[in-house]
Amino acid sequence: MPNNTHEFRLRTFELLSTLVISSFVIAHVAMGQNDATPSSNHWSFRPIVRPTVPLVEATQDTRHSIDAFVIARLEKEGLTLSPQASREALIRRLSLDLLGLPPTPEAVDRFVADFRPGAYERLVDRLLASPRYGECWGRHWLDVARYADSDGYNYDAARSVWKYRDWVIDAFNADMPFDEFTIEQIAGDLLDGATVSQKTATGFHRNTLYNREGGNDPEQYRVERVVDRVNTTGAVFLGLTVGCAECHSHKYDPISQREYYELFAFFNNSDEPSIEVPTLAQTQTAQKLRLRIEELEEQLKIHDASTDDAFNTWEERIGKLAVDWTTLVPSTATATGGSTIRILDDHSVLVGGVNPPQDTYTIVAETNIEDVTGFRLEVLTHDSLPKKGPGRAENGNFLLSELRVEVAPLADPSDVRPVTLKAAAADHSKPNYDVTAAIDGDFETGWALNTTEGNVSRTAVFETDENINLPGGALVTFHLSHLTGEKYGIGRCRLSLVRSCRPVASGVASPALASIVAISREQRTDEQRKALLTEFRKTDAERNAILAEIAHLKKMIPSPATTLVVAERTEAPRETHIHDRGNYLEKGELVQPTVPAVLPPLHETRREDGERRRQGEGESQPTRLDLAWWLVSRQNPLTARVTVNRVWQRYFGTGIVRTENDFGTQGAPPTHPLLLDWLADEFERNGWSMKQLHRIIVTSATYRQSCQLRPELARVDPDNLLVARQHRLRLSADQIRDAALAVGGLLSGKIGGPSVFPYQVPGVMKVRRTPSDWVMSSGEDRYRRGIYIHFWRTSPHPFLTTFDAPLSDVTCTRRSRSNTPLQALMLLNDVWFLDAASALAERILAESSSSEIERIRSGFRLCLGRWPSQEEQQHLAIYLASQLSEFASEPEAARELVGDRETNGQTAMEVAAWTSLARVLMNLDEFVTRE
Amino acid sequence: MDSDYLLPVKRRQFFGDCWMSLGSLAALSLLDRRVSAGPIRAPVFNPLAAKTPHIAPQAKHVIYLFMAGGPSQLELFDNKPKLRELSGQTIPDSFVPNDEKKRFAFIKNDAKLLGSRQRFAKHGESGTEISDLLPHLAGVADDIAVLKTLRGENFNHGPAKMFMNTGFARPGRPGVGAWTTYGLGSDADDMPAFVVMNTGPRGARNLTQLISSGFLPTMHQGVPLRPSGDLILDLTNPKGISRRRQRQAIDTIRALNSVRYAETGDPEIATRIAAYEMAYRMQVSGPATMDLGSETQQTLVKYGAKADEPSFARNCLLARRFVERGVRFVQLFHTDWDDHGGNPQTNIETGIQNRCQEIDRPCAALINDLKERGLLDETLVVWGGEFGRTPQAQNTEPAGRDHHIDAFSVWMAGGGTRGGQTVGRTDDLGFHAVEDSVHVNDLHATILQLLGLDHERLTYRFQGREFRLTDVGGKVVEKLLA
Repeated sequence: MPNNTHEFRLRTFELLSTLVISSFVIAHVAMGQNDATPSSNHWSFRPIVRPTVPLVEATQDTRHSIDAFVIARLEKEGLTLSPQASREALIRRLSLDLLGLPPTPEAVDRFVADFRPGAYERLVDRLLASPRYGECWGRHWLDVARYADSDGYNYDAARSVWKYRDWVIDAFNADMPFDEFTIEQIAGDLLDGATVSQKTATGFHRNTLYNREGGNDPEQYRVERVVDRVNTTGAVFLGLTVGCAECHSHKYDPISQREYYELFAFFNNSDEPSIEVPTLAQTQTAQKLRLRIEELEEQLKIHDASTDDAFNTWEERIGKLAVDWTTLVPSTATATGGSTIRILDDHSVLVGGVNPPQDTYTIVAETNIEDVTGFRLEVLTHDSLPKKGPGRAENGNFLLSELRVEVAPLADPSDVRPVTLKAAAADHSKPNYDVTAAIDGDFETGWALNTTEGNVSRTAVFETDENINLPGGALVTFHLSHLTGEKYGIGRCRLSLVRSCRPVASGVASPALASIVAISREQRTDEQRKALLTEFRKTDAERNAILAEIAHLKKMIPSPATTLVVAERTEAPRETHIHDRGNYLEKGELVQPTVPAVLPPLHETRREDGERRRQGEGESQPTRLDLAWWLVSRQNPLTARVTVNRVWQRYFGTGIVRTENDFGTQGAPPTHPLLLDWLADEFERNGWSMKQLHRIIVTSATYRQSCQLRPELARVDPDNLLVARQHRLRLSADQIRDAALAVGGLLSGKIGGPSVFPYQVPGVMKVRRTPSDWVMSSGEDRYRRGIYIHFWRTSPHPFLTTFDAPLSDVTCTRRSRSNTPLQALMLLNDVWFLDAASALAERILAESSSSEIERIRSGFRLCLGRWPSQEEQQHLAIYLASQLSEFASEPEAARELVGDRETNGQTAMEVAAWTSLARVLMNLDEFVTRE
Repeated sequence: MDSDYLLPVKRRQFFGDCWMSLGSLAALSLLDRRVSAGPIRAPVFNPLAAKTPHIAPQAKHVIYLFMAGGPSQLELFDNKPKLRELSGQTIPDSFVPNDEKKRFAFIKNDAKLLGSRQRFAKHGESGTEISDLLPHLAGVADDIAVLKTLRGENFNHGPAKMFMNTGFARPGRPGVGAWTTYGLGSDADDMPAFVVMNTGPRGARNLTQLISSGFLPTMHQGVPLRPSGDLILDLTNPKGISRRRQRQAIDTIRALNSVRYAETGDPEIATRIAAYEMAYRMQVSGPATMDLGSETQQTLVKYGAKADEPSFARNCLLARRFVERGVRFVQLFHTDWDDHGGNPQTNIETGIQNRCQEIDRPCAALINDLKERGLLDETLVVWGGEFGRTPQAQNTEPAGRDHHIDAFSVWMAGGGTRGGQTVGRTDDLGFHAVEDSVHVNDLHATILQLLGLDHERLTYRFQGREFRLTDVGGKVVEKLLA
């Protein structure tokens, strides 16, 4: 493809490469750079040797080693560094680079006015101490870790792994050494006495996609997750594209397919659980509650040991109850709804015939028992009933709205006296359909069963308010109403009565229970004993009080957030085979975990520090922990090089090795090989301190250069690979959002916690399986930093993706920086961005009360950290005037733009014009760019 | 080295020449003179400038009608009398030999064969066989090439859709549309280069990954038209901002950006100025492009579209309008073809009938309309899902079929394809190809070929490797070419 940009850039690079290569031809030949055949002689596989800082012509700049390396290279082309950027530019650059936020005007003032020596260094220290630093560099790491709040694939279910994000932010803020940072993420769970924090760190490799689609083969996707872990580890720490060797031996790099699966074997024995991550307060509360619960449980044991007498008394009473029930022999049984009732030989009644929506049965029986205290209603199964009943509903259930009882002396049947039923109990009720609802006088409620627990006979007992004494016999009439449900009549039932006791208070004297009591104690089965004890305990008020308190306390135990972690498999270890052609079903040769032969061997790099070893000499197979140690061991030349290069890339747009994720033989050669090694060595010497690495880079004159294009450089080094000036870099999606909220004074400073749901244009969620997944957060959570925005992999926030945030499906070691019309539309027209502009306008109007020009100047400075030039000021003044006149002639439009916001003494016209001005400021290229 | 070398040569300048824009600004005395007088000359890249293809192209545009869920080839294109005959029986061993690796998503190997209840007939001079479910498509039988023997590698929707769209079963690779704009740039000066629309009962899930730019620069990602509000996100000015006031704002932004450009010489600023200009043009002409009010009633009826009601039919008509304005790649997703049966929505009785009613008329109208406007020759229309469906039943009431990846049907029209033919033949039950088996990589290679792109040369270097849409496979299906 001739005549295109890509080609153009390539050709430019080739030309430049010629220059570069001709300049350090010796170094390159020595390093086997252009060798076609893969060999361990490749520069990046060789040990890091601390180079001598070159001697360059002494200037102010050369006191810094980085500058010496850069200048030495430039001297070969007859070039020099660019002059230092202005102090205003420097503080904006530093704030954006270290904190991801523009500086406040106050911070700019303070720095610009600090004429004491070391002002810049103090600024760097101040910024590195800010907790915003952890959020900024944490965000970079989350790109690498492919962090997201959902599973991806079609179902894209939500996941809870934000504690890992918190861990990353905390680790950066605490300046956790990068070697520890690495070890905890790769194998924190395998460290001796691994803490919750160290386990949380393993969430790094839980950020893989997860396919929950129905009908899939779980093993296929488990293997894919392991593949992703291997590939990510390769790209992030080793800067190697091991992924290609999944299917075949790597075409260019000396990594065979076998070696790929040897790496794979390290990750093949992991489980993927979730753990709870309580806060300190949660832990303390839980501890207190658990202690109290233990006490109560102890109390319960003591109590239970002391209830033998009570049990005996109860059992005796139950025994009595059992024998005291007298079955009533119905004389008549009729139904109002038209169904027919048959009286069976066992004195039960069976309902049949038509099944009317509502029905009331009237059953009449004679008795001569006196001192009656209660009735028993047995609902019984029968083959003629749906699912054997005991009810007539399709599922065999019934719904008894009310049971009413009347008695009359046999001598005078017309002297009917209603019986008040004051209590009821049943051996079984459906939740919310308790048997007491059948005596509450309310026909809308009633007693029903849960037939999913079985279509079996059940029993209810009812207790009378007063004892019934009718000498000479009585006529008892039962009205069973079924008015609540539709076709929910009882199918078969039997009635009994009892004298001289309180049946409900004694528990439900079901026939089953009674029959157990009838068996002598020695002959009861365990099950029967247990059933009896369970019933007895229901009547034990003291016991119930203790149980209720325990239940209450258990509810009060805080439920901590959970997070996804990696844990070593507890079952028998999986064997790892080579997957032929990358197909997990085609298992080839068996392999053991180890590292590629071209790199230093594993055993040489195991930590000598015995205490940190998980196991002793007997350890049979290397584990993930061994791999983690190996990654950050002094002998492994890649991790430090790759890491410092990625950091360098953040500051200069491209790395010293431009292919930041490919240090293999097909990757780009380093433009400054000695500088790269010096930085890597320095990094390790400084105990892998990230903050120290930042300090070293940003205090160099190379970093502090102006970003102005120089004509003489445009010819020799158009891509600025030799760093003879700084780069202008467009801010990332999160940074643009954060900056807009910051200058509008809206940004929340809250650190950490679960993901948030700020404003997002409606409709984004429509492509999801569950479109209701975006419920806007309230209060300051709408204005948290971008790092906290809930990231749905299949429907990410459009602002993030429009400005090149990665989709987090795979590791991202460098974001694109595109420059598109869709971005322009978003900054010009998006609702929340305009909100931020309005907030900025209000701030300008509120904070500076002086002239229009002063206000323009202060708004400009809020956004860009510098004062406008005369010319810029003039453009803005002309624009403001035009907008004031626009909105003066169209007050309606002003009100539309301003909405119902408080105008603080200003007219809608003024607020609208200043909002327009703020909108222009926030749309400037410089606003979205780090210079 | 000549400094002019730094300027891209002879490319189509659809942004308008940026130097011109800056020059005209100077005339308005809004611009610092240093821009024209100063020594700094940096190239202004239009990152999406039209590019020259590898070979003479047949097609300039693609309209890809993606039928998400996997339409049943056995109900639409692949007529199997033998399957009807053996309906209700298990698969004879001869059809699935050595079947240890035979895997389906849901059904087991003892599932019963199911003959189609659809009636098939031969249509057009070509005698292309199409079922009664697609009467309108049958009317353009001589314009389409039916391919009956496409095969994929994944029998779950998520991976299969990614495979069909990006040539890779896991997320992270560019979609066909992204590869196309990467290879050819854009011909549109007021629309995005790669536009995506989505209809159907449940929307194509995982859409972001299907139209992603993957490792390509993100400007190549598909721009989904929105289901409600602005069809293109933020195309409308905020309330209270008239077109004039928007212009005033953009002019001021441009003036200030030009000052900064003069200060720093960063070509990204010039690109941003151009991007704001294109954004403005999109705002000015976009709504008209997307407004079907200017279409005749007759046209709307032909498509079966209503001007302001979202539907596949409306999207087909929009697709034609986009192509007319130079949009390179239009992709329509329509669901839900996942006809497992056993429910009233997705089955091969009423479910597929409903889907066919939604797409049949518009597909035929699109082909006729493109043809009448002389656009069919330069516009490739592709129709198909991520896989097809099994000859066995999965459920019976109502009937449905499981996912089938070994042989399924798609069709293509226009853009240099040879219409009026059927390519490929499957066995008597429709399990496998017995003639012209075509892999998804081959289909991709063919699409690129028609666009003038050699699938082996359309590469992007990432993580130390040259990546291709067709990975290490792909063979152009010559029979499909005119």
